[in-house]
Amino acid sequence: MKDASRLKRVLDQGGFAVTAECGPPKGADAEAILRKAELLRNTVDAVNVTDNQTAIVRMSSLAACSLLKAAGLDPVLQVVVRDRNRIALQSDILGASALGIRNVLCLSGDHQSFGNQPQAVGVFDLDSIQFVQVVKTMRDKGTILGGEALTKAPDLFVGAAANPFGDPFSFRVVRLAKKVAAGAQFIQTQCIYNLERFEKWMAMSRDRGLTEKTYILGGVTPLKSAGMARYMKKKVAGMDVPDEVLRRMEGVPAKQQAHEGIKICVETIQRLKEIPGVRGVHIMAIEWEDKVAEIVERAGLLPRPVISKQ
Amino acid sequence: MITAERKPIDEIRAIIAPYKKVLVLGCGSCVAECAAGGEKERGMLASTLRMANKMDGKEVLIQEKTLDRQCVKDFVILLDDIIDQYDAVLSLGCGAGVQAVAEMFSELPVLPALNTEFLGETRDQGYWVENCLGCGDCMLDDFGGVCPLARCSKQLLNGPCGGSREGKCEINPEVPCAWQAIIDRLDRFGALDRLEQIYPPKDWSRKQGGGPRKIMREDQQR
Amino acid sequence: MESRISSDTKARVAKQTRPPQAEKRTLALFYCQNTPESGEAVRQALEKKHASSLRLFPIPCSGRIEPLHLMKALEEFADAAYVIACPEGACRYFEGNTRATKRVALTAQMLAQIGLEKERVGIVANSKETPKTLAALALELLDRTAELRPSPVLARPNQGKGTKEKKDDHSRKKTH
Repeated sequence: MKDASRLKRVLDQGGFAVTAECGPPKGADAEAILRKAELLRNTVDAVNVTDNQTAIVRMSSLAACSLLKAAGLDPVLQVVVRDRNRIALQSDILGASALGIRNVLCLSGDHQSFGNQPQAVGVFDLDSIQFVQVVKTMRDKGTILGGEALTKAPDLFVGAAANPFGDPFSFRVVRLAKKVAAGAQFIQTQCIYNLERFEKWMAMSRDRGLTEKTYILGGVTPLKSAGMARYMKKKVAGMDVPDEVLRRMEGVPAKQQAHEGIKICVETIQRLKEIPGVRGVHIMAIEWEDKVAEIVERAGLLPRPVISKQ
Repeated sequence: MITAERKPIDEIRAIIAPYKKVLVLGCGSCVAECAAGGEKERGMLASTLRMANKMDGKEVLIQEKTLDRQCVKDFVILLDDIIDQYDAVLSLGCGAGVQAVAEMFSELPVLPALNTEFLGETRDQGYWVENCLGCGDCMLDDFGGVCPLARCSKQLLNGPCGGSREGKCEINPEVPCAWQAIIDRLDRFGALDRLEQIYPPKDWSRKQGGGPRKIMREDQQR
Repeated sequence: MESRISSDTKARVAKQTRPPQAEKRTLALFYCQNTPESGEAVRQALEKKHASSLRLFPIPCSGRIEPLHLMKALEEFADAAYVIACPEGACRYFEGNTRATKRVALTAQMLAQIGLEKERVGIVANSKETPKTLAALALELLDRTAELRPSPVLARPNQGKGTKEKKDDHSRKKTH
């Protein structure tokens, strides 16, 4: 059990997986990430660690994952292609596997102009789909790009992100198909507020047979306030916050908005459980990790299954 | 064409400050097209610099000339007869032009008046957009004539990324999403299924693998 | 003559702000040939009347003005350089006056970058309802630009405190 991907086992055994996100600190403070991790122990199957999210410099995801692994959790290493070329990416994959990290999520990453280092060069040597393919080939064929053999192949459960709400809608499923074809074994989606649109996307994905080939985990983010809902609606690219969700948040007094946000989140998860092809939920409670346990419990997802060793 | 924009006057004045006999050199090609360094702009800049010097009581000789192209040796050599009169050249050429002049007259400081920007097209009068990276391995036939490297902010070959909104890039609502354009274009040709294949990683060695690139054509040489 | 003026008086005179009209200034005026009463005879008469204060340049359309024309005028002889254009919508070449406006603005920006007043250049669109003659517009603009200090770009012999005549002042009797 120590060295296997718990997330993979929960999914392979037919369970409804629960993952949550954890942002590393803006400092060399190991304690900070471990504190967050404790809030999630036994609450989730795996913990995603973000990679300089929004192009803001934070402790590296690889280092933070290593700390979480040592603390007995199952980390999901998020890797963006914005900051590293193919040499560094493949190297980090080998390093992650050597450290016992067993899950990796391959992402494009937010453009560098969003963060606190806008003068940095954006590398983008590979894109996220090519990266998935590279990791899969390293694992299954034991070779790096170009065909040279590795002394030992990495062992990783490979995932990618998907945005059911991005433009153009018609192409979203083609992109998902490409990710699956490249080797994505699990998918974590952008956070869902528009269930109708998500259900459409799921239907299209099922039609293409993609739900047979990959585990889709629906993303959710609890809203802290009406202000947050408005911000996400207007300012965050690729996000769809329907008017009725905004109305619900605005319809309660300020002090109760957080409570309402969590309620909406729990309801969303309950609906996700009903959608065929959705194999889990990914909770992104940014800087609100202490609420994850409550959300998971109210959604009827506790206790987490005990995983048999295989 | 290559596009450029003139540096702020203050910066230019600081750059030429040490010199007493300056030749302001315009270029009749790309920088004239983008109204940054052609004959008219050269005239404006030289006049402005002379006026500023007069106001400051500085005695500096500022003369002017325009070459059809600054990046071609055969034009640059035309300066041979007059170059000794000056202690610096203020070039309104693009970076290629500045360096070509500097290469020819290596004893003389050749200073840039412009900031060279990108390879692009004149989309409309007074409107220039970047569209080529000079990657050395053109794939425009695969992408309906829209370059995903030059025009996608993340250089995705398997785009789009999911951050675009109404056909505009996530980094700036004024920047069109290249992948939206590619999809629309291929759709129009009925070739959208081409995008179902996974494009392999780009060979960047064709751009940077050997340092600054060169082309040698014996059939073109004397 | 100086001995007749006490040092007190001299000091007082020196301290006074010299009225702008006492300084010689030159306005370069580029005018669209469509401006009423702007033929060659009028131009010559106006230049004669205003002496070196006014230099007139006819152009077939204000749209022919280039920033460089204005800049060169300011560099070489003018304290101010203005353009007279036809009323908005009435340019016989349709866009000439629009383009002229943009070019004047560009020139003003360049001036600002070297610390010169933007008001040294400008464009005036003639009135559609009550179009003015060249002479009338010239007077208005001379008035308007009289407020500007003499251009620091132009090399001028000292405008005297005393009554000494300048050697190169060819002549014309002062009209002011």
